[in-house]
Amino acid sequence: MNAWFKSGSPWIWLSAGGVGISLLSVIGLLWLIASHGLSYFWPSSIYEFKLVDSQGQRTTVIGEIYDRERIPAVQLEHTDIVLPEGTESVERLLIKTGNRELVSLDFRWLLTPQITSRSTPEDIAVIERRTNGNFYGRIEKLIENGKEVDISRLDELMERANELQAQINELQKKNIGAINYQIEKLRLSERKHQLKETYTAKIEEKLTAEQKALEEDYRKLEEQLMQLREEVSKDQLVVSAMDGQLVTINFEHILNVHFNNRLNLLDKVGVFFSQIGGFIIDDPREANTEGGVFPAIFGTVLMVLLMTVIVSPFGVVAAIYLHEYAGNNALTRVLRIAVINLAGVPSIVYGVFGLGFFVYILGGSIDQLFYPETLPSPTFGTPGVLWSAITLAILTLPVVIVSTEEGLSRIPSSMRLGSLALGATKAETLWRIILPIASPAIMTGIILAIARAAGEVAPLMLVGVVKMAPNLPLDGNFPYLHLDRKFMHLGFHIYDVGFQSPNVEAARPLVYATALLLVTIIVGLNMTAVSIRNKLREKYKTLEH
Amino acid sequence: MITVTPNNAFNMNEKLDLNNLSPEQTALSIDGLNLYYGDKQALNDISMSIPKGQVTAFIGPSGCGKSTLLRCINRMNDLVDSCKIEGEINLHGQNIYDKNVDVASLRRKVGMVFQRPNPFPKSIYENVVYGLRIAGENNRRVLDEAVEKSLRSAALWDEVKDRLDESALGLSGGQQQRLVIARAVAIQPEVILLDEPTSALDPISTLTIEELINDLKKNYTVVIVTHNMQQAARVSDQTAFMYMGDLIEYSDTNTLFTTPTKKKTEDYITGRYG
Repeated sequence: MNAWFKSGSPWIWLSAGGVGISLLSVIGLLWLIASHGLSYFWPSSIYEFKLVDSQGQRTTVIGEIYDRERIPAVQLEHTDIVLPEGTESVERLLIKTGNRELVSLDFRWLLTPQITSRSTPEDIAVIERRTNGNFYGRIEKLIENGKEVDISRLDELMERANELQAQINELQKKNIGAINYQIEKLRLSERKHQLKETYTAKIEEKLTAEQKALEEDYRKLEEQLMQLREEVSKDQLVVSAMDGQLVTINFEHILNVHFNNRLNLLDKVGVFFSQIGGFIIDDPREANTEGGVFPAIFGTVLMVLLMTVIVSPFGVVAAIYLHEYAGNNALTRVLRIAVINLAGVPSIVYGVFGLGFFVYILGGSIDQLFYPETLPSPTFGTPGVLWSAITLAILTLPVVIVSTEEGLSRIPSSMRLGSLALGATKAETLWRIILPIASPAIMTGIILAIARAAGEVAPLMLVGVVKMAPNLPLDGNFPYLHLDRKFMHLGFHIYDVGFQSPNVEAARPLVYATALLLVTIIVGLNMTAVSIRNKLREKYKTLEH
Repeated sequence: MITVTPNNAFNMNEKLDLNNLSPEQTALSIDGLNLYYGDKQALNDISMSIPKGQVTAFIGPSGCGKSTLLRCINRMNDLVDSCKIEGEINLHGQNIYDKNVDVASLRRKVGMVFQRPNPFPKSIYENVVYGLRIAGENNRRVLDEAVEKSLRSAALWDEVKDRLDESALGLSGGQQQRLVIARAVAIQPEVILLDEPTSALDPISTLTIEELINDLKKNYTVVIVTHNMQQAARVSDQTAFMYMGDLIEYSDTNTLFTTPTKKKTEDYITGRYG
């Protein structure tokens, strides 16, 4: 036994155990998030339950089973539900019934003892809608252009409606959006001239003419839009809900229609992937509780990239100064302590600093100097993607500095001496020899910075993230990258959907799905950076002396 | 008792009067050089003239200051914080320790090869043209020519001419050291300093490099530091023997190794101490 201890084996087992537990935890976490999140996209069966309640009233409930629970029988003692003798616990099912305009809550608990029959009829349709969530029911009539037609035309009409909707979207977002942008620019230009007192009659004429032209274009586009909307609204679906009520749904509001119980495995997989695709590509609806998260993905990735672009040069230059140029004196020691302490500051404090200094002081000054025509409405004097990127860059700066310094110190001095002996200056040696050899270490710093920053949400809430952004920071209007705009962020989206949404039950699977997406994106960014680093390592391998 | 007999194959020149060299014959002159590392004095009042176009060797036991003296000639000791220098080293009559001397351009005139080969982690081609690029030369044709010329003069061209774009780290130790010499020669310095260039190499590579040194002196002045007395005897025209920071004896190689004037020299070359 003693020999086993002395040989060092217990320590090896201990470290292996530690690594094993960490791996299992990570895998377990991913598994948990994935299974809860991905189940959101899988087209589940729609059940029709027939119930008898304690008074003998019969009701029908149609919906998806979202969850099942066992509750102790004592919880039901105060109700008038009668249970057979000796039951200790009762199972209950959480059913998503949808149909928000007919019922107050679109989720409902059913007690299993009260269910008299359960079936999966094939004619029940799940209708995904733009507003008011899903509708579960049976299709009674299909109306095309005012006339009732056969239900087999549903697919064709659906396709037509989707095409028209795509056109409507493009018209609204791109064309009308561009015109609005131009009109706003004209207004700002007018105001600018007024402020600088260069507002002559000629300029007034020019601006008015341009405005007229734009308004004319706008009118034409609006007409087009109305026409398309009319086209789409010509068709309707008449459906019956679980209690028999008839509801007419206009095709303008329908996203798609699935007959979940008719789908075989292959179809279900198809629907699964198309739902995931929609999640990633579409915009959110219904106060972020439905639809996709594309603007949040875009905002997160854009902000992380901006942050990387800002932190890399500053971090590397600071590390070079500390390692190569700074003397061995008290000031350098103070600087190093300051850098290390930067890493310990809580991130929300960075948010407050960013708000006070960057947004109000710096942004306010920029507004005064460069954008006086938009005041009192602030351009840069308000939270936005630029200030968020800079705040997170400061937050991750110590990581980049420490990694870079580490990389610089590992370079054998023979490289330096060899370069200097050939007549290179210190700066040339740095740029041509030292930095390329240190580039894998710099990449390590950047990877760590990305990993830290992509997950920070608290500071962002103060300096630029919003629940719903009307447009992306990158679009087709000059100057294309709008650094003053607010943006959406996946981390904040999780918080918002999980805690601020009006319907928590509906939102919970979405929280998991968004969390899974965030983890996937961060892993993706990290893998990209790691592969870049590996390539650099291969290129700049030096012989170990 | 082991005696050292100089191999006359390499040094067949007429004897120079090292105390009275004319300016055209002098590559460098060192006048009253004193060097301190902090409080400790490492070089005591060194004065000597190094002839042009010849190989001069510094020999002596470990710690005698020969490498330190060598590094003074291209001001590499400037990189050591605690180093203080008094005295002059004159290259073409100008003191290299003068305040308005540009150190980078000095180092282009005085090249150095170190004990362990230190090629950059770049291609062979880029290694050789590094000094030229620093000096501002980027014309492809000029660079190609310089590469061939320097690799030929380093006796490496035939071995690497087909793989100039491969990494320099793939070469053997002897090849790397020749590459480093080619790199130093490419910028056409006046003086080449070699700090124990073969101590990390095998005997065959050592021989190749010693032949190389003999070729180099046709165009350059070579100063070599070596702790291998036999190498100094084979390769150099003049030899300086140093001991504990002092220049004990400096004369042509034949004389120093056969009829040394100072007892310390004789003791050293006869192996009484190392």
